Amino acid sequence: MQVMKKGYLFGKGWRGNWPILLLLPGLLFYLIIAVGPSLATAVYAFTDATGLRGLPVNWVGFDNFREFLVQGAASRDNLAALQRTLVFAFFVTTIQFSLGLLLAVVLNQKIRGRFFFRTLFFMPVFLGVVIQGLMWKLMLLPRGGPVSEVFNVFGVQSEFLGGPPTEAFVWVLVVQIWANVGITMVIFLAGMQTIPTDLYEAARIDGARGWKLFRNVTWPLLTPAINTNFLLNVVGSLQAWQLFLVLIGYKPGTQVLGYLVFAEGFGQTGGSGSFRQGFAAAASIVLFILVLIFGMVANYIVARREKKYMA
Amino acid sequence: MNRIRWIALFAVLTIIAAACGGTEDTTAAPGTTAAPGETTAAPGETTAAPGETTAAPAPGLEGTLKVLLHQNPPLVAYMEDFNGRFEAANPGIKVQMEIVESGDIATGIQTRLTANEVDVIDYCPAGCSAFSTPVQPYMSNVEPPLWQQLIDAGLIADLSNESFVANYDPVAVADAGTYNGGVYALPAARVSYSGMFVNNDLLADVGVALPTTWGELVAACDTIIASGNECMTVGGADGWPVFVGSYGLIGAYYPDQAGLVEGLWTGEIKWNDETSIELFRRLQTYTQDMLEEGVTGLAHDAGPARYSAGDVAFMPTGVWQAPALEDAGPAFDWTYVPFPGSDNAADNQYLFGKYDMSWMVAEDSQNKEAALAYLAALSDPAEYQTYVNAVGVIPTQPTATLETKLGQAIADLIPNYRVGFEQYWLPPTGAGQWANGSQAASFFAPFNEWTDAVELANQAQADLDAGLGS
Repeated sequence: MQVMKKGYLFGKGWRGNWPILLLLPGLLFYLIIAVGPSLATAVYAFTDATGLRGLPVNWVGFDNFREFLVQGAASRDNLAALQRTLVFAFFVTTIQFSLGLLLAVVLNQKIRGRFFFRTLFFMPVFLGVVIQGLMWKLMLLPRGGPVSEVFNVFGVQSEFLGGPPTEAFVWVLVVQIWANVGITMVIFLAGMQTIPTDLYEAARIDGARGWKLFRNVTWPLLTPAINTNFLLNVVGSLQAWQLFLVLIGYKPGTQVLGYLVFAEGFGQTGGSGSFRQGFAAAASIVLFILVLIFGMVANYIVARREKKYMA
Repeated sequence: MNRIRWIALFAVLTIIAAACGGTEDTTAAPGTTAAPGETTAAPGETTAAPGETTAAPAPGLEGTLKVLLHQNPPLVAYMEDFNGRFEAANPGIKVQMEIVESGDIATGIQTRLTANEVDVIDYCPAGCSAFSTPVQPYMSNVEPPLWQQLIDAGLIADLSNESFVANYDPVAVADAGTYNGGVYALPAARVSYSGMFVNNDLLADVGVALPTTWGELVAACDTIIASGNECMTVGGADGWPVFVGSYGLIGAYYPDQAGLVEGLWTGEIKWNDETSIELFRRLQTYTQDMLEEGVTGLAHDAGPARYSAGDVAFMPTGVWQAPALEDAGPAFDWTYVPFPGSDNAADNQYLFGKYDMSWMVAEDSQNKEAALAYLAALSDPAEYQTYVNAVGVIPTQPTATLETKLGQAIADLIPNYRVGFEQYWLPPTGAGQWANGSQAASFFAPFNEWTDAVELANQAQADLDAGLGS
């Protein structure tokens, strides 16, 4: 059996390049699929590109950004979409995170049917966005829909997805959380199952019960799962838009930034129907900056937690 | 060991080669290609009576013809039948039809044209209209419509020299298929959307005469609702049917819709002038008092089924829903009349509408000849008559007639047909989301947040001014 020298896992000489060679296909794939389009988008943002083969692409400088941020009443609508994106991200992150944690805590107990409920709560994750959306469109029919019937029992009426923007927005938020809380729960569950049981036993001997046990044992040791979920929820909710497309479509007063990017790029805004992929690229750069800022803040919080609990 | 490696390598290369060469084999073996004139049908067999129809053979053509079609149940059913006939008449051609929701067809056209994966296009992007008016001299700071972008990009074939273009009404071709002197689309249909379906049985049951003025309509709705029935329904879940249902009301106030667009651009007409505010008030009445509760969740496609249940008096929508209505309730007695939006019955005689779907051929199509043969077959007068009967559109071929129940209902109104607002309207860049006042009906609660007509009219004008001045 050949024994490698310490520090040379793949051996000396040309064999030492094996790691680079093995990484190369993945790296190339990443460059082509992720980095390339991202750089192209950054360049597109300064052009009047339509995405149609054959049309000239002209350099327009900061015109797209000016139009997005300050030109006419449309900029007011764009900034409202930006604000809506932040509101959506805040509620999705806080509710999905808390609900996922609560479900994980409950389903980590030795209770009957826990495997069934774990599967049940995780199941929506398997469904595609279109299926999720179509299912909830039926659930939320204002006339004879199941949710409407339940509301009627309590004398509550709602127009659901077809109603005023705030109402429709709230229902998209509900569906978004329903669709993704399963993955949050599973990450927490996985984290909880790595916590050694003897730590709980030691804490119990010291008199810790219930909330104290959670606060002093589970919460600190769940740090990697908390950090992962926090980052995923913040970034995922800022970028979410597909459910808006499936559930509401392009309706004044409901768009988030991600949907605006799609609608402008593919002539879905109800205007001339023209393709404005240069403008859409500028909007997506704004979204990118937003995600970057909030991602960095989230990362800072995560790093601090790790320093506090994992050091 | 080495031998096994070589065999494995050879197998992998064979699989890759097979995958790369996986395009459909469209070249027939020698001897199987039909010689010119060796068609499957004898001359004279290509023109059949309506219903049997033609799909005229184009000798020697082979390949897979990729057709992009928008979702519309009667149209899809007709096209499936037509494709069968076309393939039977042209055994070398296999039609591969892809059906896309009309909201997604613009994206479908762009991606497929860019990838050169489409031959024949049913041009029907959101709003489904053939060529709307291009950018007008009085417009500035405006994005050109998609069809103009596609032609400017050189992606659409010029059909000017094709003989089948002559089968269509020259005015329709000029209005809705011509650009820069070339014919780039065959306007397959015109539709009207400014009328409403009328439930004759229900009106008779509650003792209400067919309303011909706005006042009569309001009174009729009051009586109908008091009788425990519903006045109007539309497929409100899709958003656009709400304001399309109100186009007749707008037409009653502004019969010259091209003039309305120009007036809004030049400032001679405002959304918040006296006339428009009165219009907005009526639009609010239509949305909040006439439409039944729960339409916010009713899909457009489900509208005919809901309406034919029998307890709704009117369904303001486009004529394209007539075939579905007939299918949904064959015994249901209905007619189609202009929406009585004006207090003067004489103003309520117009049918506003648009050129609907149109056919295009991709310039870079690898099956251009087959694509042209396909359009030629679709344009054959007998075939076109079958299409009109099946889909229920107003014909754009002078020899065709709308022989359906709808055709009988609107026969006298066809001379009063006018192109509507949305065919002329292009918003200035920078205009806000409320600037298109023709959609105001869908801006009122319960569909959106507005509850005051004057406030909405002021906001619509402010949003338009913001674009005009930016």
